[in-house]
Amino acid sequence: MTISDISHRKRYLPEGNVYLPHIAVIEKIIYETPNVKTFHFNFKDEKLKEEFTFESGQFGEYSVLGIGEATFCISSSPTRRDNLECTVARVGKVTNALHRLGEGAEIGFRGPFGNSFPLDYMAGKNLVLVAGGIGLAPLRSLIWNALDNRAQYGSIDIIYGARTPGDLCFKYDLESWEKDSSVNMTTTVDREAPDWQGNVGFVPAITEKVAPSAKNAVAIVCGPPIMIRFTFPVLEKLGFTPAQMITTLEKRMKCGIGKCGRCNIGDIYVCRDGPVFSYEQIRNFSSDEY
Amino acid sequence: MLEKWQKEFAVFVPSKASGVSQMEVWDGQDTAFLDRNRNTAVPPKAKFLPGMEKMFGFRKEEGSYVVEPTDGEPPKQLLFGIHPCDARAIGIIDMVFKDAYDDKYYLSRRENTVLVGMACTSPYDSCFCTSLGFGPADATDVDIMLIDIGDALLIEEVTEKGRGILAGAKGVIEATEKDEKEAAAARESANAKVSRKIDTAEISRRLPLVFNDREFWEEVSAKCVSCGICTFLCPTCYCFDINDEMLQDGSGARYRNWDCCSFAIYTRMPAENPREEKWRRVRQKVYHKYLFYPELFNVIACTGCGRCIRQCPVNWDITQTLSKLPAGSPGKAEEKQKAS
Amino acid sequence: MTREIEKKLRDTVRELLEKETIDRIVGYEAGSLKFSTTPLITSNKADVDRLVINPFTHSNLSVFLRDLCGKVGIVAKGCDARSTISLIQDRQIARKDVFIIGAPCDGVIDLAKVEKLIGLDRDEIDDIVWQGEKAAITFAGSTQKFSAKEVLADSCLGCDPSDFKECDMLIGEIEPIVGGKELGQDRIREMEAMAPAQRWEFWKKEFSRCIRCYGCRQVCPACFCDRCFVEETEPRWISPLPKWQDNLIFQVVRMMHVAGRCTNCGECERICPANIPLGSLTKKMEEIVDELFQYRAGTDKDAPPLMAAYQPDELEDLMR
Repeated sequence: MTISDISHRKRYLPEGNVYLPHIAVIEKIIYETPNVKTFHFNFKDEKLKEEFTFESGQFGEYSVLGIGEATFCISSSPTRRDNLECTVARVGKVTNALHRLGEGAEIGFRGPFGNSFPLDYMAGKNLVLVAGGIGLAPLRSLIWNALDNRAQYGSIDIIYGARTPGDLCFKYDLESWEKDSSVNMTTTVDREAPDWQGNVGFVPAITEKVAPSAKNAVAIVCGPPIMIRFTFPVLEKLGFTPAQMITTLEKRMKCGIGKCGRCNIGDIYVCRDGPVFSYEQIRNFSSDEY
Repeated sequence: MLEKWQKEFAVFVPSKASGVSQMEVWDGQDTAFLDRNRNTAVPPKAKFLPGMEKMFGFRKEEGSYVVEPTDGEPPKQLLFGIHPCDARAIGIIDMVFKDAYDDKYYLSRRENTVLVGMACTSPYDSCFCTSLGFGPADATDVDIMLIDIGDALLIEEVTEKGRGILAGAKGVIEATEKDEKEAAAARESANAKVSRKIDTAEISRRLPLVFNDREFWEEVSAKCVSCGICTFLCPTCYCFDINDEMLQDGSGARYRNWDCCSFAIYTRMPAENPREEKWRRVRQKVYHKYLFYPELFNVIACTGCGRCIRQCPVNWDITQTLSKLPAGSPGKAEEKQKAS
Repeated sequence: MTREIEKKLRDTVRELLEKETIDRIVGYEAGSLKFSTTPLITSNKADVDRLVINPFTHSNLSVFLRDLCGKVGIVAKGCDARSTISLIQDRQIARKDVFIIGAPCDGVIDLAKVEKLIGLDRDEIDDIVWQGEKAAITFAGSTQKFSAKEVLADSCLGCDPSDFKECDMLIGEIEPIVGGKELGQDRIREMEAMAPAQRWEFWKKEFSRCIRCYGCRQVCPACFCDRCFVEETEPRWISPLPKWQDNLIFQVVRMMHVAGRCTNCGECERICPANIPLGSLTKKMEEIVDELFQYRAGTDKDAPPLMAAYQPDELEDLMR
């Protein structure tokens, strides 16, 4: 995996008819859990493959042409451009169709859409990354991005949990982060499991135990809505202000560009003004539908 | 004049020939729409955002996908007899299709369309356009505006495009001062006929305060049946769904079609549905039109055409709901103000 | 006459709410348009004076019963009462949770018919007064009388009041509907006379106008599925796109699904914004069900739903 310095890179903005997908080829498929796969893919068009960039937190609209389109974040880091990666849980028609594809199969991609994690705001700060289940996917992009630019950040705490050991995603990355002495890695599962020697407990509770300091820190939380709802109060108790807590919101999406109407929360569109929001922004939404 | 235009454009006029009142291709003969000038059932938005629209095709060639964009320009069209409410509605939804990314499908149809407006002289009892900042005879968002002054139609040129299509048209003469006076009188009389009114200033004041008044929204939403009639017939509603179709040989196309925020599945995700309850969906409809869209684009996404009221299966009436908004129990807005 | 009945209805409902025999009432109140009513759903005694009974009580109120909690009183026309019973048969509501108030009905006035007859829209008509067998319609300064057949909804003309078998209370006498079972069937007879190819062309044209608003489905009490077959994605039975083929199949399958539940209340046709004559399909389906199974929807609350039960001695030539 080549690590590239993206600081000088021109930002890639989708142009022309942004409803038209670009064709990409699946190069590798990783079986993360019984119902989650990560697809490594690259654009067929050489020029696009070269020029394409994105920022951690952004998402794409991935198509299985003829079946439909679905929204997933880009789970690889923009610093590692040998390929692009997306992580998909099998929950419905399009995701089932994606899971049935093999290496060499072609998918469509539209994007990158949405906003991204505020790296400027995070520079020089300590990062506390809290994730649950497949929620690690958008954070993974951010984590590798940060680790590839390690000097820009202070301490890095990662707290990650899943229901069972089998449900932990990116186990290979967890291993690397465990070994990285500049990272404080905590993994947990919800309940006792055979052959599991690590932490046992829900992510919010483990976060409370790890008790990362809020001083000069920013927390990024991503996972099932219920996990986020219980983690925020824990972080607040530890002294994090709403502006110091960042998350990504999920909504049913179709167009990805703020036109079809369905992903709105009040007057903001999650696809266009998000999916990355701070808790402070969320509290100021004119609607409670998040 | 219509015949002359037909040479250059596909001319659409209000017609009931299909079985429902909507804009249909002019058959060269029918002039009924000039005598009876009541608004169509299906709004002209269907000409810019069709109920079903192909976005692109695709096929498989040697095992590989080829995306086939829909080629070329959409045909030039002229919509004759648009009422001001519908024309203004088109102007309103233009904004969302231009925002951030250009929606080429909608915008190219818009560019290739000439709008010839017809002043509305017999509003329905469900119309309330005058409350939304314009009147039934106003020349907003059209290329030329026609007003029936009895024995003739007064033409108001509005845009360059409008002037262009009038050039060389037979039977077009300078209007006299008397004609202009008659037109002004027709305008006033049409304005006076609009009996239904809402107070948008008060509505804009109250809406931010009552978002969380669950009891109120549950009460007003009780009789809504969550169909798509109001949305599909509304000239300012534009939400769409995207669906793929495929044949056995792997070729197919992607389409977009009308969708409705009142449908129970509109926001449904595998894990949860933020608008599972009907009262949330009814609330979304009202807020999107009267608060959220204005917050983004400075205009209420409603032109008072009244179709939603006329066609609703249970006579759910948005003007009644808006005029019944509670005077403002402390909602989030006020609480936030108190807190800060 | 109507004023007396309305007063009786209001007094009755007020008493039922006071005595807590019912927790809430579903009835009709004056609509915001001329010649319209709108559902009134309330548990508040003070709202009872808004209840009305008139020939514009179009909605089939039983469509709301599944979503309301507690014991619900419903002001029901004959067809609506049968729809309620049908919902009980399908175990969607319990008999004990509904209090059926039978409202005497001699038919609702079909405004589309009136508008076509007179050549004016409803808001241009001054008044419509139903006088028991005729309607007195005032417009353009004068009043004309029209026969029941000319103004009542087709589904009402073909109504058989003997189908109405169960209710908790009757507000007035059940008077014979003006008409007879064979009335209101002109369109169906016309269609039966068409050759199949002709009929196909007819329906193809009709369904080309369908915009898939699902109004027909949403107002229908018999369409109570939490997840309609149209929303199924694996497999996708029909396309969500409004192509005439899919529109036609949607409606045909819907008819099959409501067979034995549909009481021909006429709402689907009345509200269709594309003016598709769905009432012909519902009426024909009702006839077929009656002919094959001697079954009338909503007449026996203890009977199993028609399509959900199978008797070993049933007609085998159905399976062809």
